[in-house]
Order: sequence, then structure tokens, then C-alpha cells
Amino acid sequence: MTYIATFFSHFGTIKFKKLCDSKGLPAKAMPVPRSLSSSCGTCVRFECEDLSIFSEYPGELDKIALQEGNGYREVYNSSES
Amino acid sequence: MSDKKERTLIIAAGAIVGLFGALLVKFGNPKNMGFCIACFLRDIAGAVGLHKAAVVQYIRPEIIGLVLGAFIIALATKEFKPKGGSSPFTRFFLAFFVMVGALVFLGCPLRMVLRMAGGDLNAYIGFVGFVCGILCGVFFLNKGFSLKRSYAQPALEGAGISIVMVALLVLLVAAPAFIAFSESGPGSMRAPLAIALCAGLIVGAAAQKSRLCMVGGIRDVVLFKDFKLITGFAVIFVVCLIANLALGNFKLSMAEQPVAHTESLWNFLGLFLVGLGSCLLGGCPLRQLILAGEGNGDSAVAVLGFIVGAAFCHNFGLASSGNGTTPAGRIACIIGIAVCAIIGFMNLNNDQ
Repeated sequence: MTYIATFFSHFGTIKFKKLCDSKGLPAKAMPVPRSLSSSCGTCVRFECEDLSIFSEYPGELDKIALQEGNGYREVYNSSES
Repeated sequence: MSDKKERTLIIAAGAIVGLFGALLVKFGNPKNMGFCIACFLRDIAGAVGLHKAAVVQYIRPEIIGLVLGAFIIALATKEFKPKGGSSPFTRFFLAFFVMVGALVFLGCPLRMVLRMAGGDLNAYIGFVGFVCGILCGVFFLNKGFSLKRSYAQPALEGAGISIVMVALLVLLVAAPAFIAFSESGPGSMRAPLAIALCAGLIVGAAAQKSRLCMVGGIRDVVLFKDFKLITGFAVIFVVCLIANLALGNFKLSMAEQPVAHTESLWNFLGLFLVGLGSCLLGGCPLRQLILAGEGNGDSAVAVLGFIVGAAFCHNFGLASSGNGTTPAGRIACIIGIAVCAIIGFMNLNNDQ
């Protein structure tokens, strides 16, 4: 499954990309897709079968959304956790 | 939204900005100044008495329209999200010095593109400085620069700057005696209120939908080899260039360009400061206005930093003119670059 993780700063993007790399998950840093947010920040697109592989998320993480066709479904929001 | 639709939106927004950039000049704005966030915020600062430079005082309806256009479209599309608390004081000072750089060069990054499209070769030198400034900003981003996270805020906090813009519109229309209106100089050259306001509203909405940003476009190319955002930048240039040629407003030269000077080093360094500061802020002055309209209180603080910076520039002789830069302006520009670099280093995270 393909996920997009968005962050409060580019620092979060760099950190999460490294975390994905360390877990062997295919991951790519990129600009946030417009349909996901009006923010012009950066995000990480990553492949993962089970999000529980992450024991805890970095503090800079804003949201994680699951890619479904051309759209996205939010599966994690830091403000609700 | 598909990749193709996203790209189409950016191209459309760029075309709208480029077209209005040329048309507002036709309707009365100073040449190569259809839009200039720095100059227009400076004019507003003068109009409300924050500085006494008589030739640059006017409540520019374009600014009001930009913020309210973004506010209205964000509300309509459920993207109005009040938030703030991400190092507002630091952002204020970054914005302050971005304005110093812009007024040493004589224009924000958007006006830089409009000047390039008008044939002003000084703006091409500024552009090189702007790119170099962004490259320095990207260096800090890659080293772990962060102004820390923002937090959800009450609706009134997010709507605050839009309410201020409505108040400015009332003052502009009512024109009480304490509001200054330039009778000569760039501040006296203005498109009719209704046209300028509508142009601002349309561009504000288009910029919110497309996320148009002069800094973000170059940042994305450098960081990700992603050319989507920079397409908007290129389209503004091409459309404005064609419109300028059609309207007879194109003149290829360095000398005798409108509201510009020929001091290449300071055109370079002025926009270097703008590029660096804007990259650390997370967007160019136009983008800060749009984000402020969307409810971002940190961007609203940045807008206040721009306004106070503009007032300082004119009260203390930092702003350039057609005659060139000033000694105080040159010193302030160097201090600004140093302050941005210090802010960059002081906000690096080491736990990458």
C-alpha cells in the first residue's frame, strides 16, 4: 500500500525518509500533492503493508494518508492522537 | 486531483497573474508594477502613517483583494484552517529583513518577474541573486532547519488579517483625512479601485488554489527535480512579456527602467536576502499573504513584519530609489543576510 506522510517542516520530511530507509521501506521525498493539502510543504511517499512497523511517529509528523486511486484517505492525524 | 490537473491549475494561475501584471499597468499602476507585494505593503504602511515618504502612500486594493480572495476560496473549499505558533517572533524578523532586501532591489520576487518581462535587465541580475539566496536556504533546510510546528488556533485568530483587510478597504473608500494618498510619484499611480480590487481577488483565489510561489518553485526544482510550481513562474513571465509587447510596455535595457536602479551588486544582494529569508519563512511575500488569508497566523505575523520593515526602510533611508541605493540600505542589506544566516544556524536540528 502507498502512503503519504506530511510534516510541519522539511526537517520532519528528512527525518521520516531516513526512518523509512532504515526499515527498508521504499520511500521518496517530494512536494505535498495539492489534493492532500493547500500547504506547499514537503512530504514522504512510502510503501508499507502495516503501519504498526512504526513504534512511534516523529514529533514533526502532521498526517498520514493512504493513496486510493487518484485520491487519498487520511489514516493518521497528529492533532487527533 | 491528478498530476495533470495540478499542473493545469498552476499554468492557469500563472497566466492570470501575468495578464493582470500587465493590465494593471495599462489601467494606471506604475510601469512593471502591476503587482508588487513589497511596494504595495510599503504604500499601505505610508498611507496609515507608519512612514512619511509622501510619494509612496496609498492603501493598495490589490493587497486587500489578494488576502480576501484567498480567504473566501479557502472558506468555500473548506481549506480555511486557523493555525499558528511556529516561531512567530523569528518569522517577524525574517520578514522584516526580506522587506529590506526587496526595497534595496526595488521589488518582491513577483515584481522581479514582471520587471524581467518588461525588459529590465537589472531584474535578471536580481534573479541570479534570488536563486543563490534560495540555494543557501535549501542548504539550511537540508541541514535540519525548522521553525518548529504550528498548532490549531481559534477561527478569529485565523480570520484576523482578513478582518484587518476589510477595515483597510473601508478606510480606502471613506478616505478620512488621517489616511494619506500620494499626489505624485509611484503612490499616485494607481488602477481604479474596483479593477485593482477585482484583480487582487481573482489572483488571490488563483494563487490559493494553485499554491503559486516564487520561492517554492525554485526550492522544489533544487530539492526534488520537480518542475510543477516553477511552471507558474515561467508562465507569468511569458504571458506578461507577450502582453507588454502588445501594449508597448517592453523596453530592453538596464538604464532608465521604471522604479529601478542599475547597481548590479545590490540588485543581486537585495534579492539574495529576499531568497534566503523567504526560503526560511517557507514562501515568498505573495505566498505569505495567501497563507495568511487561509488562516495561518504565522504568515499574518510575517505580513506585519513586511509592513514594519517597509516603514523602517523609508523612515531610516534604507530604501533605494531610481537614483540608486543608499549607504544605510547597503549596510542594512548586509546585516539582513547575516541575521538570516544566524537564524538559519540557530534553528538547525542535530538529531537527524
